[in-house]
Amino acid sequence: MYNDSSENEARVRRNWNVLVFLAGTVILFGVILFKLFSLQYIHYEENFQRSENNRLRRIELIADRGYIYDRNGSVLVRNRPSYQIALQALEMPRKKSDRDSVFKKLLNIRDASGVRLFDSLSLDTAFQRIRWVRTRPVRILEDASMEQVAVIEEHSTELPGVSVIIESRREYPYGTLASHVLGYTSEISEDQLRLPEYASYSQGDRIGQKGLEQEYDKEFRGKNGLKLVEVNASGREVRTLSDVGGLIEPVPGLHMISTIDLKLQKAAEAAIPDTAKAALVAVDPRNGEILAMVSSPRLDPNIFSLKRRERNKGWAHVALDSMRPLTNRAISGIYPPASIFKLVTAGAGLESGIISETKYYPKSCTGGYQYGTRYQKCWGVHGNLNVVHALRLSCDVYFYQAGLEIDMARINEFGRRYGYGEKLLGVDIPGERAGWLPDSASFNQRNKRLGWRWARGLILNLSIGQGQMVTPLQQAVFIGSLAMNKGVYRPHFMKELRNAQGSVVRRYEPEIIRSGTMKPETHRVLLNAMDSVVNHPGGTGKRAAIPGIRVGGKTGSGEWKKGQKTHAWFAAVAPLEDPQIAVAVIIEAGGGGGSVAAPIARKVLMAFFGKEEEE
Amino acid sequence: MRPSRFLDKPLKFDWFFIGVTLTLMTIGVFLVYSATFNEEMVFYDTHWFRQIIYFLTGVAIAVGLVFVKIDWLKRAAVPSYVIALLLLLFVLVFAGDVKGAGRWIDLKVIKLQPSEFAKIAYLITISYWLSKHPVSLHDLKSFAVPLGLFIVPFGLVLKQPDLSTALVFTAVTLVGFFFAGLTFTDMFLLVSPVLSVLFSHSQSMVLQVLWGALICLVVLSVIRRRLSKKFSGVIIATNILAGYASSMVWNMLEPHQQKRVNTFLDPMSDPLGDGYQVLQSLTAIGSGGIGGKGFGNGSQTNLSFLPEEHTDFIFSVLGEQFGFVGCAAVLGLFALFLWRASSICKTNDDAFVTIVTMGACTIFLFHITVNIAMTIGLMPVTGLPLPFLSYGGSFALVCMFLVGLLMCLRYQGNK
Repeated sequence: MYNDSSENEARVRRNWNVLVFLAGTVILFGVILFKLFSLQYIHYEENFQRSENNRLRRIELIADRGYIYDRNGSVLVRNRPSYQIALQALEMPRKKSDRDSVFKKLLNIRDASGVRLFDSLSLDTAFQRIRWVRTRPVRILEDASMEQVAVIEEHSTELPGVSVIIESRREYPYGTLASHVLGYTSEISEDQLRLPEYASYSQGDRIGQKGLEQEYDKEFRGKNGLKLVEVNASGREVRTLSDVGGLIEPVPGLHMISTIDLKLQKAAEAAIPDTAKAALVAVDPRNGEILAMVSSPRLDPNIFSLKRRERNKGWAHVALDSMRPLTNRAISGIYPPASIFKLVTAGAGLESGIISETKYYPKSCTGGYQYGTRYQKCWGVHGNLNVVHALRLSCDVYFYQAGLEIDMARINEFGRRYGYGEKLLGVDIPGERAGWLPDSASFNQRNKRLGWRWARGLILNLSIGQGQMVTPLQQAVFIGSLAMNKGVYRPHFMKELRNAQGSVVRRYEPEIIRSGTMKPETHRVLLNAMDSVVNHPGGTGKRAAIPGIRVGGKTGSGEWKKGQKTHAWFAAVAPLEDPQIAVAVIIEAGGGGGSVAAPIARKVLMAFFGKEEEE
Repeated sequence: MRPSRFLDKPLKFDWFFIGVTLTLMTIGVFLVYSATFNEEMVFYDTHWFRQIIYFLTGVAIAVGLVFVKIDWLKRAAVPSYVIALLLLLFVLVFAGDVKGAGRWIDLKVIKLQPSEFAKIAYLITISYWLSKHPVSLHDLKSFAVPLGLFIVPFGLVLKQPDLSTALVFTAVTLVGFFFAGLTFTDMFLLVSPVLSVLFSHSQSMVLQVLWGALICLVVLSVIRRRLSKKFSGVIIATNILAGYASSMVWNMLEPHQQKRVNTFLDPMSDPLGDGYQVLQSLTAIGSGGIGGKGFGNGSQTNLSFLPEEHTDFIFSVLGEQFGFVGCAAVLGLFALFLWRASSICKTNDDAFVTIVTMGACTIFLFHITVNIAMTIGLMPVTGLPLPFLSYGGSFALVCMFLVGLLMCLRYQGNK
């Protein structure tokens, strides 16, 4: 308890302290007032002049997006200048009537042929927008032609706040060539902006969508710069304040040397008609470099660099097409592997010693095989065969019996060694889908809803490749590494990233992702079989033969719907003794693999080995 | 008038204080209107209308607070402190990758900023403790609990990172110590190491001399206060160490780190970043002259040169449109506000009332000084808003809550 005097003392002390606090306040406010006086009285003139005449602007300098080259240095993707006519909110007249007169003048501007440059609806929207978007320009004419730019420049004095901005847009000089691999760019969408992985992007940024443009967007885009400029009353730049640190130079994006071989890609594109739903992959099995990839029907990525109306038209065209040209069938299309999978069945049998080159099965092919109550047909009558003959003729009956004896576990294990199965290969463009090698457990689980149960009879279908799911990329990787027998390399498109000065920043290191090896004896037999498929006069793939080069391959005709033509498959690898290229082709509902797909693979191989077609 | 059911005293309001507050609020709405004015905007979408709504909500909260008994405030101290800490921890842990998410809790309707709530909770808690347990430099143990109370929210806010708000906590603590037993000399001793760092970080001759003088003053003060030998040694050693360490650390920093510190202390050295805003703000204020360009005629501010003119840089809107006269008038109003607010502690002998009142005054003074100093280029750009004038719901509510607290203390004063 305080007594009276100490209470009083405390009060006096408290009041004194409050006074100290208030004195501190007065001193602080005094300093502020002094500085205000200096700004608003002593330096009034210069500040007033600066506010009237000289205005400072911060302008973002967009970094150049990196190019994409093919493996020999030809440009596949580059930039072109694109002129945008835009409203700058900061330079627009403040009074509504003045703004309206700019609006009317813009509306009346016509080009040489008398066509209006702007329509009143979109112009009205833009004028609404600049009330919200104060710091960024609002576009009123996108990707304007030189003539339109000239017309605007002519009237520039009557159009305060209207300016021409030069942007750079993507250009794909070969049009649809490798469009699924390259991807395209477009303005970042609102949905993407909300995602955390796009935190470093801002509204209006152009961003890679699909393909390499998306996968390597961070590398391509570089780092934007910033400059501080002084503008005059009508908004024109007078000077850059670089001497006081007002300039941060943009850092251009990295250029990519891709693994694509332009010559090969062109040959592959030419070999596949655009009307077909088809895919082709050519890969170098020695390091996983993808030399060519085609998905048909194609699309022209240039449409995404056009002005909005044309872009929307082009977009609607590709998006609503029932042929689904946006899908990259080479990595996103999953198909039954068909007879190409017989190589896996045979490999698994040879590896486990269940079959051998000299083994014949008791039932010879008489056009079908009786299993229980079912009669499974073969596509021909082949007689009694060993494994090499069975592969050459693609006899189903042989593989029905072999498959039943080898069993699914061994077959799937062998398939997974070479890249088949549920694990992605990890190709460096987005959209890759995983395949499926069914066994009893995964079959039951996947078909639970339909009530289907695994039965031993399914092995008959699976051992000839009907029922699995694979992508064309997997087929190419499979046949290449099967012939090589040295491991499966991760398929990829990026060879090198170089900076603007041309020095290499990053190089892709080939990476083994699956063991991909087998016994030398198995390897020898399979090479023999692949050789005889193409180079034996009775082989199913003889249309892929090239004189002077030992091409190996396997045909496939995938059944997918009753009454429809089969998917035509062909997988080839050459030269067999030292594999340099593996090709997989699929033509959806094309017919027989040997007659439809093999000639296409041959054209690509011819191009690869630099051979001219002799008529 | 019939005595209130809760309180057996007649109404005691400081109508002058309330008048000043309402005037400042009104000026704020007009400035926000001028800064964000837009011809064709629907009125309920405008900033100024929302600001009115925030203030009306704030007034309701303030009026409600008047009827809270002081005892209840004391009882609420510890729970509110714990809740504040939990909220601060929550935003730190669940800070997403979204920009600035480390500071906010998004309740869809309103974005809650726990550090604002923590300011109030901390003020009440530290005042409650200090009113019961005065501090003295002769008894260093008396600092243990208040420093513990201080360091936790300080650290959490600093981690967000929100340096300026963390400094608000520091200011409240120091003023609390001042009103809980420390003398002016003691205060000087406490802040002297910071001054040492400031004076010795560069090689300037004048600053070196100043630093020497500071050390002498520290020694004199220590002798005059007859502090324990151990503590005196610590204080003097800290000062000397702080002085040398600051220049040593400075020289050890990488050039780009030095540059970052420099741009913080002197925004004008980075004309593309913060310097740009300060430059525009200085031009806007300076071009206002003595009388200003008149309401709604700010060519600088109305052209949106300042990206945050209606929030952090509202003072430059005032400076441009109302000139030196307007600025001085608003500063005068702020001074009157602080004067009337600080006089509330004379209405009650409870030390708790004194410390809460002065703490609230400190929060206001800190925001006012730091914000205005920032807009006129005297201090780094920190992002503290200006009370009653800046646009923003969270901060408007905090200000009105503090005003309500002050009205409550005044209303229930025993004199």
